Amino acid sequence: MSQNGETGPLIDVEGVVKRYGSVVALDGVTARFTDRAVGLLGANGAGKSTLMRSMLGLIRPDEGQISVLGMNATERSWEIRRQLGYMPEHDSLPMGMTARDLVVHLGELRGLPRRVAVLRASEVLFQVGLEEERSRLIRTFSVGMKQRTNLAQAIVHSPRLVILDEPTNGLDPAGRDEMLALVRRLSSELDIAVVMSSHVLEDVARTCDSVLVLREGRVVATRRIESPDRDGHGDVEVQVTGDVEAFAAAVRRLGLAIRPSGERLLVSGGDRSAVLRGVRDAACDAGVGVHELRPAGPTLEESLIGAIG
Amino acid sequence: MTTEARIADVAFSRYDGPRSGRLAAIWSLARWSALRALGARRSWKAKVIPVALTLLAFSPALVILGIRALFAGSTLAHDASTALPYSDYTSAISVVILVYSVILIPELVCPDRRDRTLSLYFSTAIGPSDYVIGKILAAVLPLCALTLLPPLLLYVGNVLFAVHPVGYLENHLADPLRIIGGGLTIAVTYGLVGLAISSLTSRRAFAVGGYLAFLAIPTIIGGVLAHALNERYLRLLAFAAAPQQTSRGLYPGYTDRGNISAWVWASVSVELIVVAIAVLAIRYGRDEG
Repeated sequence: MSQNGETGPLIDVEGVVKRYGSVVALDGVTARFTDRAVGLLGANGAGKSTLMRSMLGLIRPDEGQISVLGMNATERSWEIRRQLGYMPEHDSLPMGMTARDLVVHLGELRGLPRRVAVLRASEVLFQVGLEEERSRLIRTFSVGMKQRTNLAQAIVHSPRLVILDEPTNGLDPAGRDEMLALVRRLSSELDIAVVMSSHVLEDVARTCDSVLVLREGRVVATRRIESPDRDGHGDVEVQVTGDVEAFAAAVRRLGLAIRPSGERLLVSGGDRSAVLRGVRDAACDAGVGVHELRPAGPTLEESLIGAIG
Repeated sequence: MTTEARIADVAFSRYDGPRSGRLAAIWSLARWSALRALGARRSWKAKVIPVALTLLAFSPALVILGIRALFAGSTLAHDASTALPYSDYTSAISVVILVYSVILIPELVCPDRRDRTLSLYFSTAIGPSDYVIGKILAAVLPLCALTLLPPLLLYVGNVLFAVHPVGYLENHLADPLRIIGGGLTIAVTYGLVGLAISSLTSRRAFAVGGYLAFLAIPTIIGGVLAHALNERYLRLLAFAAAPQQTSRGLYPGYTDRGNISAWVWASVSVELIVVAIAVLAIRYGRDEG
């Protein structure tokens, strides 16, 4: 995982092996997590949850070691668990408690003085959109509200790093959108680094800066996720309907370069916004319709599929 | 009146202040668990039975002290002062203690298994051993409120209402220690046995049934067999009576119906405690959360 202004990696995984009998859950996993938001992508049983639980010191690797925030995960698991936030995959909230009580309680268990825990519980429940429902029993919550409560308890103690195990599990599309927006906010606005697991690429692409792909307990690909907002170069591929030659001429008149790229045309010669403006203006001038417009090069999905094989 | 108005945003702030350690986390777990099991922050229905049982446990002391206060100097007051020796107080309220422990203890651990909350707890500063310690405290401390405080209240009242308080204190100097020792023995034994049985199931009803069965069935079988076979040591199967008899054995003039010494009863209590700890260690030692 690439560097992103941190002095050291948030998490350093070195040759970690974990076996359950004859099943190898993690098979020599090595990775450095330095981005503010890293996604662990893989199918069910790929080893995502095992890796996350190893980071928390809940599972002791058979071989290799993990360093979290500079601390050895095996030797200082208690300190790591006190400093990190963790949102378990499965529904594990006490149904007979209110959201507020639960968040206060878990804040105290992670070392917050009682008074601070009460104050911070209000803050985080507001941040996850549960300020109105904080005094309701969790058993009366929808799945989405339970997941948001789960997220609130994971960040109540102001962790530097939060580990989210399949945070969109079981959510309907609207709930999933809300959860992904919240997860993105953690790293972009609340200054909390995120490690999130998912088996859905889109979830990771929308919330993370980089992705690590696991398959059968092995790391099969790592990629930085580029978005139009974060991407430096502005090359785009475009497919137009109408007079293609007139469009190409119009693009060149605007000072941009254009050449065929498979079934599409590759437009380059400036940053992303300049290129997009050029495509728009050239299409207008040439009287053509834009059928497809996308960043140049393989998509994240294409590149990961290529890497995974 | 100020002319300035300010809109305050509930922002997310970072916390860089002091963080408490492991003991505080264990204490927090114990406090939250005990209060919730006793009905705190729940509906009034959840509070009624614990409050009623607590009042029942205190009622002998309150009645005796009330009689002594209202009829000071009379024969009635004198009779009241000797009606319930400290050694017999917990025996007199043994049913109350038993019902209280049956209501309290399964509620401490069963919901955590039912709702799969253990994985959440173990992802915090609480490990399996911390969890067990916290739950033991949550079971034993409220039980101590029933096994210790009423006889201690009676003792304080007896000192205050005595004709010669200083003389009473001198004559009963060891009684507070006996009350504390006996009360702790009962609370720890009932607490640990209840936790061990409750840890075996996620269903509260099963835990309650199992706990009652464990205390009642061997007592009945032991009593019947002891009578039929004329073997007094079969009475030791009365597990519920073991801590009570141990407690009574701390006082001078101890007698037992089957002529079993207090030390033998104490050894049964210790065995129950050891087995309960072993069950808890096995049950939670495997849990990684």
